[in-house]
Amino acid sequence: MVKTLRIALLFCLLLLLAGSHAHAAGDTEEPIEPATEVDILSKMGDRYYIEFENLFKFYLPRIIISDGFHFYGSTKSAMNSGVFQDQYYFENPDEFVPGESSAVSYKLVHAEDGRPVMLDMSISKHVVWFWLAGLLTLLIFGRLANKYKAGIGRDTAPKGAGMNFAEVMIVYLRDEVVKSNIGEEKYLKFAPYLLSCFFIILFMNLFGLMPWGQTPTSDISVTAALAITTFFMVNLNGTKDYWKHVFAMPGVPKLMLIIMIPVEILGLFTKPFALAIRLFANMLAGKMLILSMLGMVFIFMGMYGTGVGLGSGIIWVSFTLFIYALKVFAAFLQAFIFTMFSALFIGMALEDHSHDHHEEEPDALQPATQLQ
Amino acid sequence: MNPVLANALLNFETGIVLWVGVTFVLFFVLLKKFAWGPVLQALEQREKSIQESLDSAEKAMSRAEEISRKNDEALRQAEVEAQRLRKEAKEEAEKIRVDLIDKARTEAEAVKEQTLASIEQEKQKAMLELRSHVAELALEAAGKILNAELDEKKNKKLVDDFIDGLSKN
Repeated sequence: MVKTLRIALLFCLLLLLAGSHAHAAGDTEEPIEPATEVDILSKMGDRYYIEFENLFKFYLPRIIISDGFHFYGSTKSAMNSGVFQDQYYFENPDEFVPGESSAVSYKLVHAEDGRPVMLDMSISKHVVWFWLAGLLTLLIFGRLANKYKAGIGRDTAPKGAGMNFAEVMIVYLRDEVVKSNIGEEKYLKFAPYLLSCFFIILFMNLFGLMPWGQTPTSDISVTAALAITTFFMVNLNGTKDYWKHVFAMPGVPKLMLIIMIPVEILGLFTKPFALAIRLFANMLAGKMLILSMLGMVFIFMGMYGTGVGLGSGIIWVSFTLFIYALKVFAAFLQAFIFTMFSALFIGMALEDHSHDHHEEEPDALQPATQLQ
Repeated sequence: MNPVLANALLNFETGIVLWVGVTFVLFFVLLKKFAWGPVLQALEQREKSIQESLDSAEKAMSRAEEISRKNDEALRQAEVEAQRLRKEAKEEAEKIRVDLIDKARTEAEAVKEQTLASIEQEKQKAMLELRSHVAELALEAAGKILNAELDEKKNKKLVDDFIDGLSKN
């Protein structure tokens, strides 16, 4: 069974000490039923299908740009086309049954020589869930905007819990994040970007807490894309002073500039890099922690039998609930931190300072704010 | 290495970065136009109108205070004026009283003087009359007593000298 992973496999490193005992117990006790096997990695990693378990599985199209443009309805049809092959079946060709084998690694290579494809523009489940987050933001706040346009909240007080709650968040972000970092005059230019960031990331984070939901922000590619937009937002709006601080730090001896300039240029890229890694790592860790906690039930089942496994389940499930609550908090916190740092970087790039003092490195703030 | 493990969690897929990046910019543009723009503008407008109402309330308040202050001032001034008038009236009355008393006193004095003078006059007149009457009586009496030897002229002189001597004493 390569396609699916046993929970026990994931934790065998953690439980080396108990390993021998588990084996002994596993031999005498009844073996783990296939029903307890869960493909954890496909829950956490990106895949090219959307699965509502026990309801339906929807394969997403593969779009490959390599030796021309190729479009397939699913990974399976791409494999059967003969042009591309799943990397796993390329390495183990004898396991491949044309028309029947379904994808294993979902990584497509050229069928004839195993070259990696040039550009894989396939739509993955994380992209789809990202789109859902974007559409949800558009739907919720578009409706909200219509209410404001109609006069509710513009001439009168906001009406209803939803409107009030949304307004609390918008006003808080506008005042405490955008205005305090960017300033009163230019805030209107950057508030839409930062608000979009916050709410789309928030919805993506919260999606992972739904049944069948996925967290696109637990994918480094998605957070990297978001961080890249921040990178452009910062550097396209940098003032003369900002670039002067990068390439000719005022008040620094000329010789020092040889060291300073590469460090400063590196700094341009480490900021969005840190943004991407922080969000991705936090969201992935939370997801992993929940699955690991629940996985303990099955490990104990394998080690000490079904009774102990189910009995200890009370502990694991209550731990999971605790982590779950923490994840709800972290969903808001990480979205806020991403927005906050984006605003900070934009604010730094916009600053017009004639004095020589150097900005405090924002990265110094990270350990304090990085809670999860 | 297990292929599933190998490309699961840390894959950096350029295609996904492009999809997410491009669609994020698209979402951003749509959100800016249809959501954040109107919302932020409405919030700004509401805050401005609230600020304006607060300012105008402040202004009305200060105007009311000004009016009330003016009223107080006027009241105080009126009171001062009234007090002044009362004081003036009192002084006037006092002056009139003093004048009247003075006048009355002078008049009374004059009346008294006049009365005294007329009494004196009456007294003088009475005295003269009395004198002449007494002289006549004395003459008559003396004439009756001494009617022979003494002539009337010599006697009269005698009696007059006697009376003069009387009145001088």
